[in-house]
Amino acid sequence: MLTLPSSRPTLSHLALAISAAGLLTLPLLATSASAEEQQPAWAQGRSAELAESPLAPHATPLTVTAPDDIPIDDLRMPDGFNAEIWAHGMSGARMMALGDEGTVFVGTRGIGRVYAVTDNGDERQHVIVAEGLTQPNGVAFKDGSLYVAAINRILRYDDIETALANGEVPEPEELTEAFGLPDDQHHGWKFLAFGPDDRLYIPVGAPCNGCEVDPDTHASIHSFAADGSDMRVEAHGVRNSVGFDFHPETGELWFTDNNQDWVGEHGPNDELNRLSESGANFGFPYCHGLGVIDPALGDASSCDGVDLPAATFDPHSAPLGMRFYTGEMFPEEYRNAIFIARRGSWNRSLSAGYDVQVAKIAENGERAGLSPFMVGFLDASENTFSGRPVDVLQMPDGALLVSDEQNGAIYRISYTTPDYVE
Amino acid sequence: MPHPMSARFGRLLIAVAGLALAGPTVAEDSPAVGLPLEEQIQVCAACHGADGNSPQPGTPSLAGQPALTITNQMIYFRERLRQNDLMTPMARGLSDAEIQALAAWYADQPLETPDEEPDAELMGKGQELANQHRCASCHRADFSGHEQMPRLAHQREDYLEQAMLAYREHTRGGPDTTMIEVMREISDDEIQALAHYLAHWEE
Repeated sequence: MLTLPSSRPTLSHLALAISAAGLLTLPLLATSASAEEQQPAWAQGRSAELAESPLAPHATPLTVTAPDDIPIDDLRMPDGFNAEIWAHGMSGARMMALGDEGTVFVGTRGIGRVYAVTDNGDERQHVIVAEGLTQPNGVAFKDGSLYVAAINRILRYDDIETALANGEVPEPEELTEAFGLPDDQHHGWKFLAFGPDDRLYIPVGAPCNGCEVDPDTHASIHSFAADGSDMRVEAHGVRNSVGFDFHPETGELWFTDNNQDWVGEHGPNDELNRLSESGANFGFPYCHGLGVIDPALGDASSCDGVDLPAATFDPHSAPLGMRFYTGEMFPEEYRNAIFIARRGSWNRSLSAGYDVQVAKIAENGERAGLSPFMVGFLDASENTFSGRPVDVLQMPDGALLVSDEQNGAIYRISYTTPDYVE
Repeated sequence: MPHPMSARFGRLLIAVAGLALAGPTVAEDSPAVGLPLEEQIQVCAACHGADGNSPQPGTPSLAGQPALTITNQMIYFRERLRQNDLMTPMARGLSDAEIQALAAWYADQPLETPDEEPDAELMGKGQELANQHRCASCHRADFSGHEQMPRLAHQREDYLEQAMLAYREHTRGGPDTTMIEVMREISDDEIQALAHYLAHWEE
């Protein structure tokens, strides 16, 4: 049996053992086609036996949390680290991108806004750069321009920090047609990041919970020239990635991926992946997690030629935004490690996630070991949560920002060497 | 952060962004912005009734709705995520806190039950359809709603019918597409039976 580093070794080993023994007999796809069509998107794949299940996605507040009610005191980190509220009042705050002048741009989903947060040294202010968009989750910054990815649009705001300094927002360039991406609602919210090759990387999720897809258009990560030309499919078989970054030394793309719902409460695991070669296949919809063959669509050969994860997370825990740490503020052990925000689960009875994990990469550069870094939003004894981390961002001083979609806030994590350390 | 200042700055930028993204629509504030709660309720009362029991065809009752249902829909109107020529101007400029206070007030008002006798045949058909479509799995067994899922029991029948038709025809937008999936391929007759059953629901 493979032994890969994992935050929950017993669970991932269990999943492997089950699939290896061919005993993955889970209730699946017992519903009729018409009933399937008339279910909400999140219920796709829910078996008839689970029709009365209370599990459903947690509604995201569209409102802000008052500063005094933001659960900053819940947070716990290793010794020496401290979390403070860096900015608040941006309902639905999700993905973050840093401008050259220090502006933090923030995407959202349901509220349809993009925010710009500026820091005058003492305090942060925010303005609404765009509103009324359909889930503008993705934000990226390059050569003075802000790129925004909504489900059905790609926009570019040129010289945005100059305009913001004058109290204005530039009219965006509409790049939607140039990129020509699908506009499916289901898993259609997009992450955005520029690679070291100056290309813009965009994932396109599977338009379903589990289904067969055209591998050239869906369940894939694409890259483009910044103007939307010269599209390449970089990765296939990626169900729904909502976060990635590039290794500071090798330039390799590492990405998170959210696995299928309703297959089981304890599987398949969510994933941290490494793209070793452009065009590699990561398994969806036939092979999940650490080699779990899909009970409905897979067969014995489904995991052949599939790149298995570099690390796995608790099933349904929703690892999203991730960044390599290259700063000087944190201790040496965090250099080139990956911080990963987990938004937290809904498709399991005992909740998991709602934290920031850190992945330290093995010496061979191919696998990673996970450990908790920022915890406390999940109250395991009550099975309740108080915040939902979605993205992380390293600031120029080496501090780490963490966005919290539940409370519309951004936290700043800093490090001071404890007194007892010589 | 100095709140009033950042709010003014934000408003300016919203207006500019609105011009850029949505054509010539200039954002004007709702007449209810900044009024005390009791006066805001009078603004809403013109259509939704003094106590949130709507006397007006096609206009929903707000009494007894879960607070989060009203909050979310008001924010969708405010952000122009749910297109409605009447409600967007009523919601523009209202703060989250103003919307939440209104929602909490309406959630506490008792919803009246309809006067007229239900049609037995429609009630039977509607109940069967409600079971088949699992309405209760989100809207609760007594259809009183829950969090962002609205109360259906004793809502105006004409409004329920209109809302379900709009979901089926994809004319009711908004970030939550759940009901569009659920209403796919449902017939006019089925919608009529469901609306009648839910409007006249009895334990």
